[in-house]
Amino acid sequence: MKILYQIAIIFSICLAGEVISVLLPFPLPSSIISMLILLIMLFAGWLKIDHIREKSDFLLSNMAFFFIPAGVGVIEHLDTIASFWLEFIIIVVVSTVAVFLVTAATVTFFLSLENRRKAE
Amino acid sequence: MKEVICSSPFFGITLSITAYAIGVWLNKKTGKAFFNPLLISYLIIIPLLLISNIPLEWYNEGGDIINMFLSPATAVLAISVYRQRELLKKHLLTVVMGSLAGSLCSIIVVSLMCVLFGLDDALTASLIPKSITTPMAIAVSESLGGISSITVLAVIVTGILGSIISPLLIKLFRIKNEIVQGLAIGASSHAVGTSKAIELGEIQGALSSVALVTSGVITVALSLLI
Repeated sequence: MKILYQIAIIFSICLAGEVISVLLPFPLPSSIISMLILLIMLFAGWLKIDHIREKSDFLLSNMAFFFIPAGVGVIEHLDTIASFWLEFIIIVVVSTVAVFLVTAATVTFFLSLENRRKAE
Repeated sequence: MKEVICSSPFFGITLSITAYAIGVWLNKKTGKAFFNPLLISYLIIIPLLLISNIPLEWYNEGGDIINMFLSPATAVLAISVYRQRELLKKHLLTVVMGSLAGSLCSIIVVSLMCVLFGLDDALTASLIPKSITTPMAIAVSESLGGISSITVLAVIVTGILGSIISPLLIKLFRIKNEIVQGLAIGASSHAVGTSKAIELGEIQGALSSVALVTSGVITVALSLLI
């Protein structure tokens, strides 16, 4: 029964997310809205992690599994992938390295700013 | 008979779990980032469907049920952020600015390179969210008019690449600070990279999981402006 309650809590948050997503004037994905609702509920203390622990551990620890069907859909686009695989690899490599270094540089800068503010 | 078996929802689900279990086993056995459970699952399922001529629609009878869990799986990411609330409060500005810089950099570099290579709008839209976690990336790709399965592929390749090259970049650029390491990994290679960050240390793992959520949310917000 406990797991059923937890599924009901998480699914009802997702349902609320879908409703809000339709009502919003801009296209914010319902999954993100659900995440924000859950975050607000946790910070406000309306929901304790204990209320959804088993179900969310199940979802978090098997996260990658739920992506399988979305990726298998690539089967319908194999020709597309074959036509630009080299560009694909170059874009992925260059952007991943760039994002890593830009983030690292920005974080280093703001950490030194935090430290300076603390020192004052 | 083949249709009875393969177009049942149980077929797609069982096949997915089996392939994933093999992937997890191989990953544990070898300990190599390349043996990513998700990548192994694709290398098993896709050739199997192609060789045995099983239409994607049949597989998706079960696949759609698994897909339904993408939204709850994204929602519970809130828990990993909530668990790091103390660290987050202490470094809020740094986390937000780092994630913002990373997200902007990803969108700009990918867009520029797509123009450079003359890729069409649908492919560009599919690649733009490549640095963020899969469920959020799918959402961004769909709202920009991309092809979600190509996005998933780009996200996974990015994650695997990130978990291989992040330790090298840390050494090469002598990044000693654990907070910098964690945030850079989370922003550049989302959940797959985070699993590497956890191996590097507790602080790296915690900040990487925070960065994967903040970068994801910021990228979603920026995509509304594109």
